[in-house]
Amino acid sequence: MATKKRVVVIGGGAGGALLANNLPLEEFDVTVIDRSPYHYYWPWLLYVAFKGSKRPMKKEIRELLKPGVSFIQAGAQSVDLNNRKVVLENGKTLEYDYLVIATGSRPTYSQIGGHKKVVERYGDYHSSEENARRVWNAINSLKQGTFAVIVGGDPYRCPPSPLEGVFLAEEFFRARGLRDKVKIVFAVPYPRPYPAEPMNEVVEPILRERGIEYITFFTLDRIDEEKKVAVSMEGEELKYDVLVVIPPHVGTDMKIAPEDVLTQDRFIQADKYTNNIKGFDDAFVIGDASAVPVAKTGVTAHLQAGVVARRLQGEDARNSGRTNCPFDLGYGLGTFVISDYNNPVVKLPPSRFSHLAKIAFAASYWDMIRYPELWNPIFEAYFEATEPAKLGRIYV
Amino acid sequence: MAENRIRVDARGIACPGPITELVKAYRNAKNGDIIEVLATDPGFKPDVEAWIKRTGNQLLELKEEGGIYIAVIKVTAKK
Repeated sequence: MATKKRVVVIGGGAGGALLANNLPLEEFDVTVIDRSPYHYYWPWLLYVAFKGSKRPMKKEIRELLKPGVSFIQAGAQSVDLNNRKVVLENGKTLEYDYLVIATGSRPTYSQIGGHKKVVERYGDYHSSEENARRVWNAINSLKQGTFAVIVGGDPYRCPPSPLEGVFLAEEFFRARGLRDKVKIVFAVPYPRPYPAEPMNEVVEPILRERGIEYITFFTLDRIDEEKKVAVSMEGEELKYDVLVVIPPHVGTDMKIAPEDVLTQDRFIQADKYTNNIKGFDDAFVIGDASAVPVAKTGVTAHLQAGVVARRLQGEDARNSGRTNCPFDLGYGLGTFVISDYNNPVVKLPPSRFSHLAKIAFAASYWDMIRYPELWNPIFEAYFEATEPAKLGRIYV
Repeated sequence: MAENRIRVDARGIACPGPITELVKAYRNAKNGDIIEVLATDPGFKPDVEAWIKRTGNQLLELKEEGGIYIAVIKVTAKK
């Protein structure tokens, strides 16, 4: 009997859990490690922050993995790619035949002056349930004045999320009858509210229609919470009463040898088609942890997990760079940001269907992680039917 | 003070857009630094021109070679 290949997966989030559950256990000995016992469905932070949702948004990683996949609750302290070793924070060492890093990305509060104070006061919806709850409390206590959302820097998880928060906040204040007393301002460092032009053509008219102000080319430098003013790098000032900053994210905090696989902000460089870590055919990085030029979003982790699982089984599977980011536009409307390496973002118009598809996805999320063998054919059919090359010819 | 040259390779980035990569590099840069951006998205040219106009940084060079846009920017507008 041939010995099983040892696969170590660092991270039990969307990418790591799906990868582990996609591997045949008669061929692979799969171990998932994670610092946290929980897998979080991060997109739900939006609804905690702006709808006050109390729906549970985490599950134990152990419960989500197939029987037969091992789980070790411990952080990885260091990875030695040359010697195929992972040293855990509990002192143990794991050796592997294949390594998959799926550690995600994390917000940083050190790049913008005064950022921490603002998060402690008003929260945000890219870090934790506790902070998302703070946003909900902050918007509930604002009866008049300015509610501001500022994109603090790149990258961050989920490109549509800043505007989703803005749209849901506008709906919230209108429903409370406070829309004439609360001004809503959205500031971004880009030339337009949504960075990709075709999607901007969908959302910019909605911002205008709903009376939401927006400021472009605003690169946030520092925030003075005493004076309640946010200042750009060129000295422009934005006054607020409640401020939510989309925090810039950084990559892994593990030590990695060789160090030159990391970018300056600690994302791991990899081949954009195969997810192989630069220079290594036995190590991969998937999802937000990677530096490949694609949006940081669950669908990327999901698709890359499928590609890497097939590559480990000897297939020449390759990523198309497909994105499929659900975009809540408020008032029960939604769209999707759909693109791939070869096709620009599709100008998909707002619809109730797109919003309901987002909610249906959220409702089925745990089942999708747990049973990829049931969901893979459904996703394959969906992605084929919605290829950006096809949709791009319909929505021009 | 030695001039620091930052190279940003945004080739192949369509979503969310190469301009986000420029902004990221700008955040970490100091006045006097040079940022060189490579991009393939045709939207990059008008975006970088508009960005220069609004932020007041200096565009040293903007050219296209075989489908690749190269922008060389001197950071001068930070306060």
